[in-house]
Amino acid sequence: MNSNHIISTTDRVLVTGSSGFIGAKVVEILLEYGFTNVRCFVRPSSQLDRLKQILAARPGAKSIEVISGDLLSRDDCRRAAAGVSVVYHLAAGMEKSFAGAFMNSALATRNLMDAFMEHGHVARFVNVSSFAVYSNLKLNRGAWLDETCPLEDAPQERNDAYCFGKLKQEDLVRQYGEKHKLPYVILRPGAVFGPGKRALSGRVGINTFGFFLHLGGGNQLPLTYVDNCAEAIVLAGLQPGVDGEIFNVVDDDLLTSSEFLCAYKQRVKRFFSVGVPFFIAHGMCCLWEDFSKRRQGQLPPVFNRRRCAAEWKGNRYSNRKLRERLGWKPRVSMRNAMAAFLSQYDTGAT
Amino acid sequence: MLRVAIIGCGKIADQHVLASRRIPDCLVVGLCDRELLMAGQLGERFGIKACFADTAEMLRATNPDVVHITTPPQGHFSLAKQCLEAGCHVYLEKPFTVTAPEALELIQLAERRGRKITAGHNLQFTLEMLEMRRLVAQGFLGGKPVHLESHFSYNLGDASYVGPLLGNRQHWVRQLPGQLLHNILSHGIARLCEFLDDDLIEIIATAHQSSQLQKLGGEEILDELRVLIRDASGTTAFFCFSTQIKPGLNLLRICGPANSLTVDHASGSVVRHESGSYKSYLTYFVPPLKNARQHLHNARVNFMNFLRGRLHQDSGMKELIGRFYQSIRSQGPLPIPYREILLTARIMDGIFAQIYPAPAGGTPAPAPRETAKPAAAVTMP
Repeated sequence: MNSNHIISTTDRVLVTGSSGFIGAKVVEILLEYGFTNVRCFVRPSSQLDRLKQILAARPGAKSIEVISGDLLSRDDCRRAAAGVSVVYHLAAGMEKSFAGAFMNSALATRNLMDAFMEHGHVARFVNVSSFAVYSNLKLNRGAWLDETCPLEDAPQERNDAYCFGKLKQEDLVRQYGEKHKLPYVILRPGAVFGPGKRALSGRVGINTFGFFLHLGGGNQLPLTYVDNCAEAIVLAGLQPGVDGEIFNVVDDDLLTSSEFLCAYKQRVKRFFSVGVPFFIAHGMCCLWEDFSKRRQGQLPPVFNRRRCAAEWKGNRYSNRKLRERLGWKPRVSMRNAMAAFLSQYDTGAT
Repeated sequence: MLRVAIIGCGKIADQHVLASRRIPDCLVVGLCDRELLMAGQLGERFGIKACFADTAEMLRATNPDVVHITTPPQGHFSLAKQCLEAGCHVYLEKPFTVTAPEALELIQLAERRGRKITAGHNLQFTLEMLEMRRLVAQGFLGGKPVHLESHFSYNLGDASYVGPLLGNRQHWVRQLPGQLLHNILSHGIARLCEFLDDDLIEIIATAHQSSQLQKLGGEEILDELRVLIRDASGTTAFFCFSTQIKPGLNLLRICGPANSLTVDHASGSVVRHESGSYKSYLTYFVPPLKNARQHLHNARVNFMNFLRGRLHQDSGMKELIGRFYQSIRSQGPLPIPYREILLTARIMDGIFAQIYPAPAGGTPAPAPRETAKPAAAVTMP
């Protein structure tokens, strides 16, 4: 733990999405770092089991505040941001519609930033975004995908509402940084995994047609174990001199999709899967997209060139900037992370 | 070229833009949402530059012929009134209005202004409903329906809708007189109104909360509704709304004096039930085979409609919007008669008065059996 943090451990910190898979871990690591004034913001309909477990296990957690509300409500944002020095904004709705994704990502973030600037003791706004904002359409297969890579410029064509919401969220954060001098950091985690998240990443493959299509092949997966990801997020709110910067979050020793799937099958269950080479996947996606356009969306463009590239083209990933600028290193090795992830499927394990 | 504007740039607005784009000779010229960013995101995605946060400004600047109102229902009456008074035709998403008196007032205003207004009951215009109407027009039923049944199921598992609704007492759905039911019922009720007379003798409604919704923390929300309706000519109707029936039902059954029809929205099919009897054990062999043949026929028709591009997501919405625009251009009949819109609104008012009665000391709820008559006569277009 670095003592040169921009805030002290008694300063108030807000974590939105604190009952979520990553958010709860962020709270846990903040408590581990000695922060005693953490405000956890949750939705009224959120399941609080993860958060309650973490708070119950920490002696210092008695002073932690849990408030519920809706970030689309200005009043709720005001209550959340009052007196806060650092905001860790992880709340995101997994909306299928573009309008819903925009509301829950961009509008909610706008409301929160407004409230923070008016009612908080502004030190930093940490926006947790996603790898989903990148476009690797024009990158070669196997090329490095880092923070300088282009962002998706046609989320509607990609049929990706989540990508759209996150792009617009980042736009707003940057605008507030420029126009209102809001100190911010943006984090883009890759595929976050760990106990508590059982579904396989779409980057490995899909089960849409009744059997598993393994589309990831030999592609490196931009994995980040939840504890490692959460620590990167925490550091992004504490490290001096990184305002206005963007960080990708991926671990060391990344597995390929084949390695990941093989480990899963060996430990969890064997199942039938069909390996699909990228050129076939790409060809099918092109056909689907063209059919959808010709038929004016009769089949929604669920499979399309941009999605195919984003999920299955295959790139290489680096955490160099994260290490150098935030002083981060993964606290859990990939080997141990995989062991923990796979252990959740053991009979009786939670 | 028909100039179209949209007020309310939430989730359903996308479908209105997409449907309009599949209709010739119309152009979306303006978007309006009290949250300008919402109008902006819709405009950015569909290349529509004129985005506004104020309805009056939008109407002045874009001068639309038709305005689609896709806001939460609480805004329908005032916005539709504003648009009609500005000289626009109005397409109002369902539910048409919050109450029947508001519905009547809007329709009367539309008539005085020489404008047209319709309700977004797009399920009335799916391919299977069009086929049903063709058969009814041919006399398949043998006369006025004797009995109708409408089933409408809803999935509580849709977390993106139900979650925010349950967690927020101030959610706009919770502010409606009929709450969750109010926002969804009109589809299922509207298809009955096509065959019911205006003169209703009875509306008997009962509702309760399912155990699933109780566990989700549904508080006062009711999600299991059963309604019996009878009109003065003796036609009866049964309406069932359920979140628990599996598999979910979305169907209309029309029982005539000679034959009957079942329209199934879930499978996009129409099944004919013809009178007739078979000797002895043939009654156990022939009718199932005939039903199987009908289902095969439905599958073939749907497949051919898919190949021809007629079977399309939201084909009902595109058909309804297209017919509404056509009625504006040609001064022809409206796709949904005002009579049906008003009857739907009156039945819904009658249902909610029974299942959410007024609190003690307030206006008493009407007795369960009552004659529901329109407040004033409405000139049919």
